[in-house]
Amino acid sequence: MTRRPTRLDKKFDLLREKTERGALKAASSNRALNKLASNKLAVLGLAFVTIMILSSVFAPLVTQYDPQKVDLRMMLKPPSADHILGTDKIGRDVFARIIYGGRISILVGLGSALGAALIGVSIGAYTAYKGGWLDSTFLRISEVVMSFPQIILVLMLVTILGQSLMNLIIIFTLTGWGSLYRLTRAQMLSLREEEYVQALRAFGLNTFTICFKHILPNALGPIMVNITLSTAMFILQEAGLSFLGLGVPLNIPTWGNILNVAQDLRILQNYWWVWLPSAMTISLFVLAINFVGDGLRDTTDPTMQG
Amino acid sequence: MSANQKVLSVKDLKTYIYVNNRCNKALDGVSFDAYRGKTLCIVGESGCGKSITASSITQLLPKLSRIESGEIVYHSEKGDIRIDQLERNGQEMRALRGAEISMIFQDPMTALNPVYRIGAQISEGLQYHSKNTLAQLKQISIELLQQMGIPLAEQRVDDYPHQFSGGMRQRAMIAMAMSCKPKILIADEPTTALDVTIQAQIFELIEELKQRNNTAVILITHDMGVVAELADHVAVMYMGNIVEQGTVDDVLRRPAHPYTEALLKSIPILGKGKQQQITPIQGSTPDPYQRPKGCQFTPRCPYATEQCQAFPSFQSISETHDTLCWHSEKVLSNA
Amino acid sequence: MFIYFTRRLLYLIPMLLGISFLIYLGLELTPGDILSYLLPPEAIADMKPEELAAMREALGLNDPFIIRYIYWLGGILQGDFGYSLASGVPISQLVLERVPATLELSVAALLFSTFLGVILGSISALRRGSLLDNSLTIFGMIGVSIPEFIFGLSALVIFALQLEWLPVGKRLMPGYDSYWDHMPHLVMPAMVLGLIMTAGVMRYTRSSMLDSLNKEFIRTARSKGIPEWRINFIHGLRVALIPVVVLIGFRLPMLIGGTVIIEQVFQWPGIGNLFVNAVRGQNYPLVMMISFLSVTAVLFASFLIDLLTALLDPRIKLE
Repeated sequence: MTRRPTRLDKKFDLLREKTERGALKAASSNRALNKLASNKLAVLGLAFVTIMILSSVFAPLVTQYDPQKVDLRMMLKPPSADHILGTDKIGRDVFARIIYGGRISILVGLGSALGAALIGVSIGAYTAYKGGWLDSTFLRISEVVMSFPQIILVLMLVTILGQSLMNLIIIFTLTGWGSLYRLTRAQMLSLREEEYVQALRAFGLNTFTICFKHILPNALGPIMVNITLSTAMFILQEAGLSFLGLGVPLNIPTWGNILNVAQDLRILQNYWWVWLPSAMTISLFVLAINFVGDGLRDTTDPTMQG
Repeated sequence: MSANQKVLSVKDLKTYIYVNNRCNKALDGVSFDAYRGKTLCIVGESGCGKSITASSITQLLPKLSRIESGEIVYHSEKGDIRIDQLERNGQEMRALRGAEISMIFQDPMTALNPVYRIGAQISEGLQYHSKNTLAQLKQISIELLQQMGIPLAEQRVDDYPHQFSGGMRQRAMIAMAMSCKPKILIADEPTTALDVTIQAQIFELIEELKQRNNTAVILITHDMGVVAELADHVAVMYMGNIVEQGTVDDVLRRPAHPYTEALLKSIPILGKGKQQQITPIQGSTPDPYQRPKGCQFTPRCPYATEQCQAFPSFQSISETHDTLCWHSEKVLSNA
Repeated sequence: MFIYFTRRLLYLIPMLLGISFLIYLGLELTPGDILSYLLPPEAIADMKPEELAAMREALGLNDPFIIRYIYWLGGILQGDFGYSLASGVPISQLVLERVPATLELSVAALLFSTFLGVILGSISALRRGSLLDNSLTIFGMIGVSIPEFIFGLSALVIFALQLEWLPVGKRLMPGYDSYWDHMPHLVMPAMVLGLIMTAGVMRYTRSSMLDSLNKEFIRTARSKGIPEWRINFIHGLRVALIPVVVLIGFRLPMLIGGTVIIEQVFQWPGIGNLFVNAVRGQNYPLVMMISFLSVTAVLFASFLIDLLTALLDPRIKLE
């Protein structure tokens, strides 16, 4: 009849014993930071992201090869001491291409996410605070943009604007601001009703100051999380477009462009080193960012308990 | 025999809650009995452990909590059952819930599932505790709703909770709780979320059902007026202990614990006019994680002495009246 | 209820008008003569310059922009989507040929991901904190971090090239064109697209289920003494499903977008494949029309999801 002790029971016993000894201290001061640091995956992710960013920024120090240099005597050579990840179809060093490719891929991801944030957050914050027709107009526009499948909208704009690195960032920004706009707007709408905002209004501060200086900082947590996750999403999109051959022009090395060769079933099956390292790099980088984003979310949003 | 038939006895019950990696001794040795056809009121301010007491009896405790020691004994017709030793959601516990012991919760707005029809929710328990066809179940639901005084029960039985008003929802909750004619009905602040005008109706209904079915009612409340109106027995709780218990006359007319006394002085009495003196209880409830030593009421107690640093033992005032205070004599003579 | 849906349907009209206007703007702004999109190529080839000019006048190409837009929209409503620049074939015909393939792929992936995601997500929530829950969470995160085409290509290498269990791609092989013959072809693309979608559904089901299991009515249900499975599934999951269905509605654009890449990987002859080829060939009219049709499809599918949500949630009917 008596209950079997479970895993929880052991934990309870420990806590009870500690309480009776008076060994439990009050929670330490910076809860958010502690929580992030105690999330091992987030720390690991942050370390990986930092290493990748540093090594692509200081690419010439990491590898002595030129990612563009064609060496026709060294075509499709497997990994060796000289070329640690081998060479591709026209003899370029795969490792160097991945390291240099990181520059563009991360630039596209982060640049587009920041661009989208700039547009989405400023429009979202201002129009939500002002309300009225301005707000409903932008809400309608965002609905239109967001009901397009993103890749279709991106490709449509690629046909109109043409293929280039700058265009890609612009297109990603134009198609990706919707979610940040929605998020900021929702945050703003709830914060707008807070009492301290009423007080500021009573002080006679102007709308712009109240909106961007006093309300927005309180909404930064979820916005940061969204920027992080958008970066990951744009890196994946760049890879997808490059796979189709419609992303950054193929002569510029990016993680996606390296993968473009994988369309060739012969390469896919027989020369794994040409595509697999790049595939792993993208996946790990995006995974790392997602871990960081999740960690951030847990610290900033108490309602999202994992 | 029929006058004072015990259906439930709780002895030295300790239930602790383990949230945020800390241990809150929510119930620290609670004992009381409930009798057939009688109403036991458990009174106290929020956080004193009233609701935890209620959910300990049905083992509907939050996941991160545990009955540490003590006994909860249900005196069923087939012999005594030690509830505290049953598997939380095991078969034996489930056989008791709803059928023998049922509960009414505080907020009827959230206590009903929004996606199912009222009738289906009322008869759901019955479906498992008896052998009835679906058509019979529906008929029973309609009859129950009629008994609860809901007009057009034949139609309302197919409504969804959002189509019911707060008072009607609480009636439906009572119908649900009474569907299997339980021996014990536990009502956890059943009117707190309702309008004052509805309150009286709900209590009247509970009272009527109690008399008809000879049910033991355990009513959790913070309202002394309700206690005076409905209770046969009263237990006053403070910080996880029952500090005083007895018949309603014992406790309300001859309070023997400083907390009960202070509680009674702090509420205005209707009809006494503006002249009456209301004394608020001084200080505030201590943090459950940093409890005072000895008697929990010491920091707020006008009678406190050195002796109160040691946890008091139960002082018997009369056969029916107990209190947990070293100075009960002084309190009694003061009144 | 009827009023609610009528209103919801009427709401689509301004949305579609706005989108069609943008699309037409795009069509006019892209390089190339709009006449070659409006008329079959052989008709243009036979015409003399003055005839072409007369034609322009007749088709209203010299009218103000807004009038031209109205003509164009009128054409679309009558099923005239214009002509492909590359082949001169009517766009409606090109699209109609491809629709079944894409529909088949996306519906299969949607069903697969919904069932799998809801089942795994609720198990995860019920066993919160267990090894199973943690590994499912990690797998979910890995799932959303791998580019979909890598996932597809890896499946291709393993199951088609190495193990030779499934065909390498395409939808039909010559000579084997009965309906059941192409099922083996469907398995891999549908599974790959479905698995990508599953991660999100699973994650959302988990958190929605945790939320609903914490609700008061769960305690009420438990107080009736009914079995745990009934509490978890009939009460908990049933309520948790409502926001999950709403989320699936929000993710429909992702599903349609996903077919673009997956169809390319598996050479699946659907709309996505047609679209990518049109983009590569700078076939503006075709690109624009497919974009327009894909949004329309998304909007109507969201409408159907709304219907489903209202069926699941009795509270909606009152509004």
